[in-house]
Order: sequence, then C-alpha cells, then structure tokens
Amino acid sequence: MNYAVLSAPDFALHALRRSDPGLCGRPVALVAGEGRKARVTEVSPEARGIAPGLAAALAMSRCPGIVLRPREPAAEVEAHRLLLAAAFTLSPRVESTGAGRCTADLRGADPVRTEAAMRLRAAELAVAGLPVRIGAGATPLLASYAARCADPVLVVRDPAGFLSLLPLEFADPTPEQDGILRSWGIGTLGGLSALPKAEVGRRLGAEGVLLWERASGEATRVLRHVEPARSFAAEWDYEPPVESIEPLFFKLRRFAERIALELRGAGLVAERLSLTLLLEDGTDHRREFRLPEPGADVEGWLRVMGSHLGDVRTGARVAGVRLVAAPARPPQKQESLFDTGLRDPASFWENIARVAAIVGDERVGTPVPADTHRPDAFVMERPAEAVAPCAEAPVHPPCGPALRRFRPPWPVRVVCDAGAPTLLEGGRLEGRVSAARGPWRSAGDWWRPEAWAVEVWQVELAAGGVYQLACTAAGWSIEGMLD
Amino acid sequence: MSAAVRSIDDALGGGLPAGRLTELVSAAPSGGGQTVLARLLAATRAARQRVALIDGADGFAPETVPGDMLRHIVWVRCSGPGQAFAAADILVRDGNYAVAVLDLRGCAERLLRRTPASVWYRLQRAAEGGSVAVLVQTQAPLVPAVPWRLSLAVPLPLSDAEAPREAVADRLVARVERSHSPAADLLAG
Repeated sequence: MNYAVLSAPDFALHALRRSDPGLCGRPVALVAGEGRKARVTEVSPEARGIAPGLAAALAMSRCPGIVLRPREPAAEVEAHRLLLAAAFTLSPRVESTGAGRCTADLRGADPVRTEAAMRLRAAELAVAGLPVRIGAGATPLLASYAARCADPVLVVRDPAGFLSLLPLEFADPTPEQDGILRSWGIGTLGGLSALPKAEVGRRLGAEGVLLWERASGEATRVLRHVEPARSFAAEWDYEPPVESIEPLFFKLRRFAERIALELRGAGLVAERLSLTLLLEDGTDHRREFRLPEPGADVEGWLRVMGSHLGDVRTGARVAGVRLVAAPARPPQKQESLFDTGLRDPASFWENIARVAAIVGDERVGTPVPADTHRPDAFVMERPAEAVAPCAEAPVHPPCGPALRRFRPPWPVRVVCDAGAPTLLEGGRLEGRVSAARGPWRSAGDWWRPEAWAVEVWQVELAAGGVYQLACTAAGWSIEGMLD
Repeated sequence: MSAAVRSIDDALGGGLPAGRLTELVSAAPSGGGQTVLARLLAATRAARQRVALIDGADGFAPETVPGDMLRHIVWVRCSGPGQAFAAADILVRDGNYAVAVLDLRGCAERLLRRTPASVWYRLQRAAEGGSVAVLVQTQAPLVPAVPWRLSLAVPLPLSDAEAPREAVADRLVARVERSHSPAADLLAG
C-alpha cells in the first residue's frame, strides 16, 4: 500500500449540494449548456428515471420537482479543499490529481493505522456532505482502480486477483485495441496482463505495451505534490443575501469541517476564531473568539459561535461570511501526580464560553486581587486547568464577617458626631448608627490622573445589620454589607 | 460537601448534599450568608475542588478572602436573575464542579418572584443525578419544592468584626425551614 487515491464520485453535484441547505433530500441534477441544448451531467439518487445526457426539458417532465442547477465553481473549490485536507491527514505528500480527486503518497506510513485513518476520513467526509471512495495500492494507477471499486475504502493486497475481475475499460483501450483484444477473447485486465508483455508489444506496438502496463497496474508516475494549507480561512458570498441564522450556520459548519481537517493535517489546533459577517450595506460585523481550549473540534467551535450568533442583530442582510482560524501548536502539558485536573476539559471550556456569551467575556473567570490597596481592585483571569495545592496559611487570617459589596455603591448622607458616623439618611438605607469602627484611611496612585483616597467605616445600625461606609471626594456611600 | 459551618453541616447531616438544591435564606441583614460562602470557599479550596459562583447581583468581594482561596473559583458576575439562571443552567450540568453557588441576594425581589416555577424545577432536574451540590442563597424563601431550606435569622453584631472568621462561622445559627430528612426534622423540632 504505497499510494491512496481519494475520489469523490459526482463531485460537482455533491459540491453544490453541500453548499446549499435547500438541496438536501431533493432530486437535483446538474445541467450544462443553455436552452434546448441543456443536458443533464450529474444526477442525485433522488431523481429517479433521470440519467446523465438527458435533455433538461425531458428531465423536468420525467421528474417533477427536480432542481436543475448549473455547476457552482466556488462550491467545487471549497469541496476540493476539503478533499485535499483529508488527504493531508493521511500523508504530507499529496497530489491534486483533478477535480474531486487527489492522490496521497503513503510510502513509509504504518499500513494498519493508515487504513483505519482512511476509513475514518471517508466517514467524516460523508458526514460533511462529500462521499468519497478511497483506494490504496502499490502504484497510483492501482490505487486509482481500487478507488473506482471502493465502498468506501478498498486496499489492494493481491493485485493479480484484483485485476482479474476488472473490465478492460479500466485501462482506457482505444476502440481499435478493444476490438482486437476482444477478438482474442480477452475482456479483463487480468486476462491482458497474463499475456507476455513482449508478445503484446510485438503485435500491438508501443501503444500496446503502454496498455499492458496500465492493465497490469504497473504504470507508475511521479506525483506533483501540492503544498498543504498555510492559512486556515474560508469565505462565501451569498446570492441573494440571507436574513436568518440557518444558512449562515450551515455554511459555518462546512467551513469548520474543512478548516479543522486542514489544521489536523498540519498537526495544529486553533486558538482563536475570527468571524466576519459582510453585510449588504457594505459594513461588516466582526467578532473574535478566543477559544478557551485550543483545539480542532468542529462542534466546540460551532457552539462558541452559535452562542454569539444567537444574539446578533444586524442592520442589513448578510451578503457574505468569512471564518479565519488562528493556528497554534497543540498545548502540551504534564500535570503533577496529585494535581486535580478537569474531569471533562472540553465541556468545561465550552460551558465557560457559553456563559461568557451570556454575561460577557470579562465577567467570567477566576478573580485575582490586583497589586494595589485600592478597594475592590481585582482582575478576572482564565480559570486554571488544575487546582494546585493550597499555599501556606496567610500571616493574617481573615477576620469578621465577609463583605458583600453593593455594585455600584449606594450613595448616602452621613451625619457625624466627633468625626464618627451616627446617622444614615437620604439613601436606600437609613437609620441610626448604634456602633461604629474606623476610620481606615488609604490612598494611592497619587502620581496618576486616577489618584484615589478613601476613608472606610464599619457601622452597625440600630435596626440591625452591619455595613461598610466609604467617604471619598465624591461623598459618602455604602460599599456593602458585612454579612 | 462540608460547608465548614458547624450549624449548617449539622442541619444537613454532614454537609451540602450532592445532586440536590439547598436553599440558604439570609432573612436578617448581616445574617452571615457571605461568611458561609467564604467558609465554603475555604473548605473546597482545601479539598482542591472547583466552585462555580453564580453571582446574581455581582456582590462577591474577592478581597475579603485570601488570594489563594480564589484559585478554584469560576465567578460569574451577573447583572440580574435572568443571567444568573441561564448561567446556572449551564454550569450545574458541568461535571467539573463540586459546588455551584447561585447567589440571588441583592437581586430585585420583584424579578425573583416573577421567575416561573419551571425554571427552578429545571435546575433541580439538572442537578439531580450529578455530583454537584447546589447552594442557592436568597433573602426570602424562594425555591419551590426545595429539598433543604435553611435560614440565617440572627444578625451578626459589629463586635464580631475582629473575631477570627472561623469563630464567627461557628456562632451562626442555621434554622431548618424545610427538610425531607427525618434527622433534620428532628433538629427542626
């Protein structure tokens, strides 16, 4: 198994169908030519009674409801990139052999793993709307024959036995050669290749030798390798523009499937996704998603984008969409023996992203006190992968009830006696102060425009409840409740 | 999961039950609800378990607990009960947390009362069968058909401000308002 051929039958038709959600499950035919000369070129299985070559008008009369569409070059480019991406996950040496067809050089690869990978790719591509046949053999030609017979994967381990069953047409004989060979009673590749090569050459000439080589699967060639994807992006223009999320999401799924395969083929993951909606009025809506867990998981990406798109309202219809993935090396980590990591990292980060879509990115995370004495100063950081062991107990353990802040603080008028608060009035909270502690004065950042100074008191109201007051240049406020 | 508050652990028969909702009503101002939260954070930190703090009115003050006690928290700063319920619905189903605290104190009671009972039932169903213990902090009884409802009805005095927090927590009085456990029924008298 030195080579594999990935071939998508009815490529143009499948490329079209996977680009348009409205064509799923409907009878569809591709047509070429215009007017009366229009002919069906490819037909979906749902279009019964229709065969390639039929006139378009006849096809419509035989199959009411059939959708006749011309080829969609942009959809074919996208589908072919998907096919190449799948091939690059099998080998770094890939040839783009033709539309919907590519050849991978598998020499040096582990045969068992590669065959398993081929089956997996075939299943993934079928889910992605591009059913493929994958054949593998000792030469590109043998792999090509295998791809024509595969369902969906065929590895040729016994070339002679395999060729003995294939009809002569597989080797593309000229009509003249076909006639001669059939007059000899030869109708299969195996029959032709069983003849001595030199004798075939003596009777059919140089062309006959080439035919014999093709029939025996020995004909080999040098693959013209293509470069793997360097940028991981996809773009689509809607004609006409769309107004709802469904066609947008359908297309994003297709993009994600292809980009994720490209990343996997390159041994990379995405750390950020950039989504741009190009609007009909010439403006655009951009959003960058920093993936909490870098990866190439299509469903995870879609959940992150879906959480956002569900709330997006645009001023005009969406005329195009662009998705760009920022690649990164997969995170490598080795936790210590007793670290308590996440049970389900993918679900953890996905859920964080979903919550962030509800409350905002900056309002979810792990709080970390800022390096300042300024009240209520902290930063929100990305939660840790593993909960580390506790540090040593703090020198000053926490005392008293914990503070529950009122954000923003409640303005209040404070009556003081001998510098201490005795009465709160004119705010959301009023009452006589029965006991007070303080003041604690602090100030900082005096060299900056945002210099601050605050005087803090803790007071107990006669009606019950302990509150924290703050006096700043702006006046008094109730910062929160000691609870 | 122990809440590290003696009266609450005793009332619940050892700690917050996993896969269940427990409602803690802070009926009195300065009743100690935030101190319970701080103690719970310390207990889960010591056990190296994760806590989701869904803060309905954005009232948590990180500076009131030592910085090391924050490293296991995922704090969701909501701006109302709607966001809090939506976030809780997601995080309670996540199997990575040992405790989820849904703090609705400070949210407008008018909005909370308008919450359909189905939201609570959905949350209870989400918690059931999972490993997460869900603590709902409220100012007034709110959760319909909650298995456990405790109430903190005695306000803390200002004189407690200098006492070690552990001692303050030990002085809290949690009354069992609702329980399906015979042991708690006995405690409730």
